[in-house]
Amino acid sequence: MEQELRTGGGDNLRAAHSSVCFSGGLIDGPRIQQLLLHCATALESNDVTLAQQAMWVLNNIASSQGDPSQRLTSWLLRALVARACRLCGPAGATQSAAARAPAPRERAMSVTELAEYVDLTPWHRFGFTASNGAILRAVVGSAAVHVVDLSVTRCMQWPTLIDMLSKRPGGPPALRITVPSARPAVPPQLDVSDEEIGLRLANFAKSKGVQLEFSVIKCGSPSPSPTSSPPKKQAALCQDLASVLSDRQSLGLRDGEALVVNCQSWIRHVAPGSRDAFLDAVRALNPCLVTVTDEDADLDSPSLATRIAGCFDFHWILFDALDTSAPRDSPRRVEHEAAVGRKIESVVGADDADGAERSESGARLAERMRRNGFAAVVFDEEAVGEVRRLLSEHATGWGVKREEDMLVLTWKGHGAVYTGAWTPN
Amino acid sequence: MEVEATPTTAVSSSGGAAQLPPPGPPAKKKRALPGMPDPDAEVIALSPKTLLATNRFVCEICKKGFQRDQNLQLHRRGHNLPWKLRQRSGKEVRKRVYVCPEPSCVHHDPSRALGDLTGIKKHFCRKHGEKKWKCDKCSKKYAVQSDWKAHVKTCGSREYRCDCGTLFSRRDSFITHRAFCDALAEESAKARAEAPPAEDGSSAAAVVPPPAPPPPPPPAPLRQQPPPPAPHHAEQRNEPETNATEPVQFAPPPPPQVPVLSQTSVSAANVSAGSSSSVAGTSQSLLGGMFAPSSMASAPQFQNLVGGVGRPERALPAKPPSLCLATDASSSIFSAPVSAERQQFAPPPPPSPSPSPHMSATALLQKAAQMGATSSSSSFLRGLGLDVSSSPGASSSGQQHHQEAAMQVSLPDTSLQQWPPRLEPEPAPGLSAGLGLGLPYDSTGAQVCLPELMMGQSSLFSGKPATLDFLGLGMSPTGAPAGRGLPAFIQPIGMAGTGAGAAETFGAGRGAQATPWERNPSSSPIL
Repeated sequence: MEQELRTGGGDNLRAAHSSVCFSGGLIDGPRIQQLLLHCATALESNDVTLAQQAMWVLNNIASSQGDPSQRLTSWLLRALVARACRLCGPAGATQSAAARAPAPRERAMSVTELAEYVDLTPWHRFGFTASNGAILRAVVGSAAVHVVDLSVTRCMQWPTLIDMLSKRPGGPPALRITVPSARPAVPPQLDVSDEEIGLRLANFAKSKGVQLEFSVIKCGSPSPSPTSSPPKKQAALCQDLASVLSDRQSLGLRDGEALVVNCQSWIRHVAPGSRDAFLDAVRALNPCLVTVTDEDADLDSPSLATRIAGCFDFHWILFDALDTSAPRDSPRRVEHEAAVGRKIESVVGADDADGAERSESGARLAERMRRNGFAAVVFDEEAVGEVRRLLSEHATGWGVKREEDMLVLTWKGHGAVYTGAWTPN
Repeated sequence: MEVEATPTTAVSSSGGAAQLPPPGPPAKKKRALPGMPDPDAEVIALSPKTLLATNRFVCEICKKGFQRDQNLQLHRRGHNLPWKLRQRSGKEVRKRVYVCPEPSCVHHDPSRALGDLTGIKKHFCRKHGEKKWKCDKCSKKYAVQSDWKAHVKTCGSREYRCDCGTLFSRRDSFITHRAFCDALAEESAKARAEAPPAEDGSSAAAVVPPPAPPPPPPPAPLRQQPPPPAPHHAEQRNEPETNATEPVQFAPPPPPQVPVLSQTSVSAANVSAGSSSSVAGTSQSLLGGMFAPSSMASAPQFQNLVGGVGRPERALPAKPPSLCLATDASSSIFSAPVSAERQQFAPPPPPSPSPSPHMSATALLQKAAQMGATSSSSSFLRGLGLDVSSSPGASSSGQQHHQEAAMQVSLPDTSLQQWPPRLEPEPAPGLSAGLGLGLPYDSTGAQVCLPELMMGQSSLFSGKPATLDFLGLGMSPTGAPAGRGLPAFIQPIGMAGTGAGAAETFGAGRGAQATPWERNPSSSPIL
């Protein structure tokens, strides 16, 4: 009996989930999600049979080269399988460690490739642009600016800030950028060191007449051994970072400089239980501005099923956007999808939140900031204008909305990335 | 339709094709010069009407017209012609070239005929045809529709061009790229080198070689003293390793001495604010020297080490701060490499067999300038003997992952081989294959199907025991794991991801599967 596997057009049931025909039955977004939930429930209750059945069906739908739903499902399934391995006791444990092998396509890029990578969609640059706008405004009148950059995109944010500062009426300030030596081991990976990046940035700044000093601060313990598991690495990272931030000496803070702490895709890597402590450490530095950008999704529920559903609902947004931004076989696109696959695995693969990614939505982050003694700084019209200009250069479908005092990047109306600026009370 | 087919050596056609001089003695086939058609080709001169006609190729059966011959042939297939009629006329088809019917056109001459019918059509339209297509934004007019379409796409968008040749339509992307592009690094180095001499005598004369310089001359002894700030170019000409064109050459430092710089860069955190006053005689002192403008200006002495580093000393004096030399050198050694890179652009000799990984900062920049930002950059880093994993943080895990990935690709084979023995006791052995999870994944992406595994998927939902251990869990109905756990079966899934995507194995079984749930829908509660 032949199996039909056809992709139907965009369906009415859910805004833009496309549908898959499977032996005469229509399988679309909601049904895939149902399957995933069945699988999740089965895993949670150790019902292996049901889990197997669900996986079997999902396996027939999933495809890393299909439409966005299929692609996303393939990554979800992969994460679920990895998790299923861990159900099986010690034998499973070794396998699960191995099964947590990093996603394919995770190769180290060159700096120029990374620049291209972050610009495939406005996902990252949205945060860059808004934060830079807030920074620019916050440092008006300062002769010296010091940015502590906690991000996973390796300084891709700064060339445009340098450019803006160079044109500041009254002349540019002296700029310092400091990055920690440790960061979450997530894509994108770069093939050059932080020092090299700093070199190029300094060179660029000079060409614009901006004095730039770049530093890498060593974090606490020596690099964790390569054989330690990712969660341990992550946990170690958090501790290191917290201690580094508490150490004014090592940060090299100076009087008279305007301090900015930029957390870009960072908070979600800080263990939920340690976030308040992290923010305390930040606040203790007395920065003039703290910019926070992250994904607008609640993926930190203790319930696996909730997290799985959340992953499907949220990561679908980027997958759909990628579908309009790049052809199906584009390596750049696959890199982005693999990065999401990594995130999913982190969210779904383990229950232990330490060292894993656990995003919280913008609204909850805002509440957390307020709880920890920060007040929101509104983005001015100029910053918003820059953001709109950025979005106009990308596919239609991208938008921005204000939510409380934050800006949220939207794709087809769905909230994707939030960005906010804060200052200590 | 006026069509004349003329061999190049014959004369006359209504289109006015001129005569070609007879080809030279062709003992062997002459290769046509670019722009000159093959002398043996058949020159076709079509009239303007024909060229502009849209349906030149007509089907003899149904009289439908087509723009191109290929399309006509495709169409003719649909008529189910008896095989005889399907052939075209038996004669061998000669290569055809086309001339432009416009007498004043350069392509009117058969010796300048164009080889492609579509080409000659477009040419005629563009040059001699009426421009019917107009851009709304800028009112530019086009005779060929495809030209117009292409223009409209980009019209109004300013394009930014980086020195490396890449074009950007988005300003932010351009700026970001430019900041990190090698082209900027080279340009700045040149600019610095060519700056007019203030107290920087040597900088005027010092020139950065172009991105792909020939291998540097053998390192001269580094004891050349930098001249005092006042330029003494004549002196420099005596340098043995001087490049013929440049009066001053950065002496490439002997490799073992280069690492000094980067060592310091890594120990940045440990360098306290006192570096400007740091001790002589150590490598760090060199940087200390660099950091202190005053000492540089008056420093006639090379420190023995890192002679190249010493060079910038005389080049820098006038403008230390703007070169990012922080007066507080506590954590700002990265400004040092900026100046050091100047001398590095006179490429050092290939790194020694065991370069310090920390030389990467400057040598990398320079090497990258040589090689351009190519995707091989990561491999050349390794080729330089740099242990990428020594860099802090992410790159170590990145490399680690590569290694892990490489290791694991081989696993699916071994685990698969464990498969068959397990199959016997299982009620539904084919399910595993059906799931496709057990299929090894080879480098070309082809799935290796073991036919003996692809069987009986229908048993999934047909009245077999409820626990279908197709995942090879060896589990009892209660779900208690057997000793082996999720073995071979699941393992490849995790591993297979190291290929071009786990889901490819996932999708493997798709094509050959039955649809069991149709038979027994009650067994599939999910749907």
